[in-house]
Amino acid sequence: MPPAAGNGLEPGFRGVICVSFGSSDDTALPDTNGQPRYDLHFESATAESLSELKSVLSGSRVGVRLILAGPPTDIRAAAAAAADCGLLGEEVTLLPQETGPRFVYCPHCLTTTVDEAAGTEVKCQGCATTLTIADHFSRRRGAYLGYSAHAEEAA
Amino acid sequence: MTAIALQPRVHPAVEGGLQLEVTNVSRETESIVSITMAAPEGGRLPSYVPGSHLVVQWGNGVNAYSLTGSGNAPSEYSISVLRVGEGAGGSLAMHRLCVGDRVYVARPRSAFAPASTATHHLLVAAGIGITPVLSHARAAVERDSTATMIYVHRPDAGAHVAEARELLGPGLIALVECTDRGSFQNVLAEALITQPVGTHLYVCGPVVFMDAVLEEARGHGWSSARLHSEAFGAAELDAGEPFTVHLARSGVRLEVPAGVSLLETLETAGQSIPNMCRKGICGECVLPVLRGAPQHRDLYLSEQEKAANNTMMSCVSRSNDPELELDL
Repeated sequence: MPPAAGNGLEPGFRGVICVSFGSSDDTALPDTNGQPRYDLHFESATAESLSELKSVLSGSRVGVRLILAGPPTDIRAAAAAAADCGLLGEEVTLLPQETGPRFVYCPHCLTTTVDEAAGTEVKCQGCATTLTIADHFSRRRGAYLGYSAHAEEAA
Repeated sequence: MTAIALQPRVHPAVEGGLQLEVTNVSRETESIVSITMAAPEGGRLPSYVPGSHLVVQWGNGVNAYSLTGSGNAPSEYSISVLRVGEGAGGSLAMHRLCVGDRVYVARPRSAFAPASTATHHLLVAAGIGITPVLSHARAAVERDSTATMIYVHRPDAGAHVAEARELLGPGLIALVECTDRGSFQNVLAEALITQPVGTHLYVCGPVVFMDAVLEEARGHGWSSARLHSEAFGAAELDAGEPFTVHLARSGVRLEVPAGVSLLETLETAGQSIPNMCRKGICGECVLPVLRGAPQHRDLYLSEQEKAANNTMMSCVSRSNDPELELDL
């Protein structure tokens, strides 16, 4: 269903690009108020799908707006990719599904772990450190900051 | 302090700044001269952000002028000054400067910086507004970023045209010169709908020109965070009418003569008012007004705040009434 990279997008597009992830229904996306609209759907925010999104964005022109709908991890990763292309926060609308996993960044080994459990701790997939999940969220990484749990307790 | 007969005291706006020597004066057009200054002992001057301005003292007054270099490790500062006949006299004083003259300047200040996240820069200049825009273009060339420049000037009367043309290459990828309104309209309209995502727009020129460019950009979907304008390109403010201020708390009455700002008057009277740009931009020198209608000439207060008439910027604003009462 998704077109090959940038194929379906007319050159110099300045309308609204609507991207949905996972089971998100395209029809859940809002009306674009008569603006030209270009729809994309991906299963998840993988390196391939983000690269395709970047390719679409780089073919568009200033004036374009982006709407992202789906699980928080996917749309946050897509928003970070969009920011990398030069889109500004006020040009991107996030429509997160209420629940879903989140990314936790480990500053000890620089790996990002998926936290499915919505708890306060998660085991880092990179270095196996038990991470406390902080409230601090990086829009650039699309991830919450983790840090070594109980680090302050005397070993 | 070495004795400079022409400059009896260091103006507060350039205190703690630099004393420079004019090393070159060159005529750009009939009404624009470029003035280059360096440290009398030579050496490197403080670096500055592209689009920065330099506050220069002339006699007892000060004026801000855009620096035209890229700002990276400069050994000299260059400004270009348009002669304004009906101004407070700053531009005429600048036009009288000769090689070897000493001038007091503040350290460069940035109020028109390039966005660090921009993927491309669209630079739009009209007339003397070329000065900070040239700084941006030079910086783009030096820093491996890219820029497109649209420059509106009178036929055969464009300052820095040759320098802008020389910058053309991988950094400054396009330079469009417009010498009439109609061609500019078309060039701008085309540029606004063809810029890659991540482009930021920078405009400097007369206020009416900047407003028109910014409004058209917004109309084409440019969000305000992409739009940057340099208010210093505006014409110098006129001297204004004299008025009186009554300082309610200290019970003092002061006369503010034409050509002297309220801020300067208060400073002379020993009042210490926090201030920075002294150009109605930064908002530092805000004062509470108890009575009277200020003549707002700043670019800081919103329209609503101006209409409320309970605050004013003492550096540029004056009074519509013969007397103002301040909570000081």
